Amino acid sequence: MQASRARLFKEYKEVQREKTADPDIQLVCDDSNIFKWTALIKGPSETPYEGGVFQLAFSVPEHYPLQPPQVRFLTKIFHPNVHFKTGEICLDILKTAWSPAWTLQSVCRAIIALMAHPEPDSPLNCDSGNLLRSGDVRGYQSMARMYTRLAAMPKKG
Amino acid sequence: MRNKEPALDDGEVEYEAGPESCWGNFEDDDVMQQQFSIQDDEAKKFPFVGDKEPLSSLAAEYQSGSPILLEKIKVLDQQYAAIRRTRGDGNCFFRGFMFSYLEHVLEAQDSAEIDRIKANVERSRNALQTLGYPELTFEDFFTLFLEQLEDVIQGKETSISPEELVLRSRDQSVSDYVVMFFRFVTSAEIQKRSEFFEPFIMGLSNTTVEQFCKSAVEPMGEESDHVHITAISDALGIPIRVVYLDRSSCDTGGVSVNHHDFIPAAGDLPSARGSSDKNNPFITLLYRPGHYDILYPK
Repeated sequence: MQASRARLFKEYKEVQREKTADPDIQLVCDDSNIFKWTALIKGPSETPYEGGVFQLAFSVPEHYPLQPPQVRFLTKIFHPNVHFKTGEICLDILKTAWSPAWTLQSVCRAIIALMAHPEPDSPLNCDSGNLLRSGDVRGYQSMARMYTRLAAMPKKG
Repeated sequence: MRNKEPALDDGEVEYEAGPESCWGNFEDDDVMQQQFSIQDDEAKKFPFVGDKEPLSSLAAEYQSGSPILLEKIKVLDQQYAAIRRTRGDGNCFFRGFMFSYLEHVLEAQDSAEIDRIKANVERSRNALQTLGYPELTFEDFFTLFLEQLEDVIQGKETSISPEELVLRSRDQSVSDYVVMFFRFVTSAEIQKRSEFFEPFIMGLSNTTVEQFCKSAVEPMGEESDHVHITAISDALGIPIRVVYLDRSSCDTGGVSVNHHDFIPAAGDLPSARGSSDKNNPFITLLYRPGHYDILYPK
């Protein structure tokens, strides 16, 4: 517990220091609980998520960084590796391939990379995965773009 | 928190899986939590590092098993006094190496060895920095290992007894951190000498060196192979003997037990170390397919 707190505090300081280094990621620690974080990430350009801002929720376990943080999308997203209802993310580094070499910040970068490079063969959202697997890139992109507009962009007017 | 969220149509913010999909409620996170709880249950059955046991306890395991193995255990019994088991959690090589090394330092109280290892630890630290690892990701693991190293040196207020070393090796907050320290050191060494390691890694996993380190060295619970052992032995300049207990036999009738010595690459050895010394590993691990335990020579 003490070790995880100390590590998270270092990450917190690093995030403060490097605030401008990564304009696509805004990582914020809960005011009262260092084990709860949220992040706003920008949808990568030249993807159907471009222009959208997606909110992630981090829940950090007691044995962090030996165990991975739990991360999910709070913003609805249509992506093969994100559960459409729960926002759960299927990403190896959040499961078996986790190591303390990752940080909350670099996890955000990995999630942005996953948005740009979906892995339709290990889908959590089968509808989305099936579109890509059957080669219907256009279908996948228009669905994903629609949900980006509906859920991840500020409403006009 | 919620009010910062981008605006949504009413009713769109429904992230809990509905009752219509009970499997939808059982997610990867739950699977992982379940896995952790199974690991906890296993932990209660066997500590990270066991007590010293006579080799007869090893023979007892194979009583109704292969006669070749029983013959080999008899041979081992002539050379080795005891075995100390480690938990089979994928970290057994690093765990056995950790205990064996710290126990050696505690017994030998060789200040030259301590200076030597510290210099190598700093080289690993520099290697990680050069490779672009943020300091905050690995420094806690380095600090904890160096603390253990300090504490096994006797004659200080913080000095620990052999019994205390066993207890610490069973304490997850120490033991896993030291294992992770070794994983960082191993990863740094492999990436630093990627040209050397690449052909071995291609043979094992057909991935890039960096990918191999990310997926098969750095994550806890990933098992160790020749590549890992070679790298840690080279990085820290510590020779390691691995004794193989398997069903292989030779046709000439006599039973012998094979071993392999991992001798640190010459360039990494300090000049002060004599050549006879470096061929004489003080760490001996018993390898049975998929698992490493510690052996004590007579």
